[in-house]
Amino acid sequence: MIKRANRLVVGAALAALTLPAVAAQEVIWWDFLGGGDGVRMKALISEFNAEHPEIQITGTTLEWGVPFYTKVRTAAAVGAGPDIMTYHLSRAPLALEEGVLSEITDADMKDAGLAQADFFDSSIAAATTDGKLFAVPFDIHAVVLYYNKDLLTGSPYLDADGKLTGMDTLEKFEEALAWLKSEGVETPLTYQTGGAGGVWRVFYTLLSQQGGQFIVDNEVLPGDNAAKAVKAIETMTRWQTEGWGPEQADYAASVALFSSGKSAFQINGVWEVPTFNDLAASNSLGFEWSAAEIPPFMGSPATWSDSHAFAIANQGDKTISGEKRTAVMNVIGWMEKHALAWADAGHIPAYKPVAESAEYGAMEPNASYASLAKTSAFDPQTTITGVASPTYDTAINIISPAMHGYFNAEEAVEQIKQELQAMMQ
Amino acid sequence: MPSNKSKRRKNLIALSMVAPFVITFLVFFLYPTLNMLVLSFTNAPLIGAGDWVGFDNYLRLFNDRLFKTALFNNGYFILLTVVPTTVVALCIALMINRLKGRTQALVMVLFFVPYILPVSVVTQIWEWMLDFQFGVLQPLISYFVGKPVAVFKNPYWVMPVIAAITVWWTTGFNVLLFIAGLRNISKELYEAASLDGATSRQLFWRVTWPLLWPVTALVLTLQLILQLKIFDQIYLLSSGGPFNSSYVLLMQVYREAFQLNHGGYSSAIATVLFLLIGVVSVLQFQLLRLGRGR
Repeated sequence: MIKRANRLVVGAALAALTLPAVAAQEVIWWDFLGGGDGVRMKALISEFNAEHPEIQITGTTLEWGVPFYTKVRTAAAVGAGPDIMTYHLSRAPLALEEGVLSEITDADMKDAGLAQADFFDSSIAAATTDGKLFAVPFDIHAVVLYYNKDLLTGSPYLDADGKLTGMDTLEKFEEALAWLKSEGVETPLTYQTGGAGGVWRVFYTLLSQQGGQFIVDNEVLPGDNAAKAVKAIETMTRWQTEGWGPEQADYAASVALFSSGKSAFQINGVWEVPTFNDLAASNSLGFEWSAAEIPPFMGSPATWSDSHAFAIANQGDKTISGEKRTAVMNVIGWMEKHALAWADAGHIPAYKPVAESAEYGAMEPNASYASLAKTSAFDPQTTITGVASPTYDTAINIISPAMHGYFNAEEAVEQIKQELQAMMQ
Repeated sequence: MPSNKSKRRKNLIALSMVAPFVITFLVFFLYPTLNMLVLSFTNAPLIGAGDWVGFDNYLRLFNDRLFKTALFNNGYFILLTVVPTTVVALCIALMINRLKGRTQALVMVLFFVPYILPVSVVTQIWEWMLDFQFGVLQPLISYFVGKPVAVFKNPYWVMPVIAAITVWWTTGFNVLLFIAGLRNISKELYEAASLDGATSRQLFWRVTWPLLWPVTALVLTLQLILQLKIFDQIYLLSSGGPFNSSYVLLMQVYREAFQLNHGGYSSAIATVLFLLIGVVSVLQFQLLRLGRGR
């Protein structure tokens, strides 16, 4: 506490020395982080404000998904947008088509004290179009395989250190599921089987692990990609028909199955890591758990990933420039360098100096699954894919019904192709 | 000419009184509607102008599989709601009409309460009651069909269930209209008919039903317009799924405009819906009037 107070005083004094006559810059900040990560983001903002009397962030949290992106676009169009906002990189292509994002130049990056080489390549690629950078990646978030160590005790699937082992093929994973079922585990593998997000993330992971691509040159699942999609859906269907996965589980129910010890495995986003950490810390979880990168079930390692990034709204004449822009880039630079607090929310920092630091290496299970960042599979860069897109909708509208036996995988893939192709105007 | 002067003054006063409504109507309804019409002939994105493309958007509709699905689902939803909600409301009104004093007021309130709830509350209540894992209504469903059903994810259940929820939610208002209509029917008619030896069945079909017909026609038409505009319940409960079995026209308008940034195409769909509602409701109202005349 005292240390922190000292730092504040020193910070304030330094700020007073360097910027004696400048009034505080107000930075308007919009984000969509309403959950546990929102709490951590708000803490970061207050810390920044306390350290920087010359720059004050005023944050607003808006509704996640379509409402957020609609508001950003309409507000930017009339020059009433934020100075800085969070953005899913998977949703950036639509924003670029509409010209909602302002290019982040090399000079901007320099103001932030950052360089593109400091970030994981996959995240920079997802934020770049036509060689121009439009957002600064903050994290990489992906799905991981959570596992209940107690339920796996006595099986060959845990090594001496209690880490998951021998899961490198689909056959072995399914053997484990069958074994768990025979041991009386009701639902060996849980994920959100009755919701868009969960189904899409698992499907896209299984597709990418076969080297499949969802959209190539504006064509949905061309060539043998369709067969790979069929294989992915068939795999997910088998998990259902064998009774390994939960029937029509909503998000909360799918998480509850794991936290109540009824499921040995869970495929879910890294953002649930703090949930289980907190439960374990308060001794209310009742079992040992960990999480690992999803094994290469379909051949090669790949994991569905997305990225929260910082972006500046393009508002025509009213796009921020000059001192305000420098202040905003300062904010971004500071956030990147303090991303360890963000990693506490489960996310992998996109900024490599933090992701590769000793402090991050000591965080568990975060450090165990951080390897996935090297093979992360981002959603295709098109206007119909990404968070809150029609593609997410097809996951619940078509793939989930196929998994639950309403039609077969081939029909599902055919429907996906028809429906999404029609939307590519 | 004093009389002319006062006439003009009267006109001015009248004009100033309707002006607030007329101006609001022109600025906030007619102007956006006309703009939508213009937009539907362009390839405009959600924000900003686009290029004139003539009837391209409308021609595209003919080959849009989803549009046909949505049209069909709108029709299905009309079948599931319009007549059932009218019948239910009439039955409830007839029963309430037999009650007296405070009991009547209390029962009326009970039926009207759902109507004052916002749609998000209504859908939340039913989502919980019908939840696949924990819903209180699932044992009932299991009793009849043998196993729990994820109703909003089942193509056969989704529309009837949303229709039932809609009827539950909106019927209170129709009950009110019917009660008002019933109270307008003179008691003497019933007395006279009874003296002539009419049975209660005859009383209903010969007195109540014909005299209540204007209200019934009104309710049917209002419901038709309202249910063609179905969006909220579907968006909140099933988002149009599973595999588009509850995908309706306004879902498509929403998705094209806000998710896909196709302002022009989405306006074309909205225009078609607008025309559809206009034509169908005028047609229905005329037909119902004719039916009464015979």
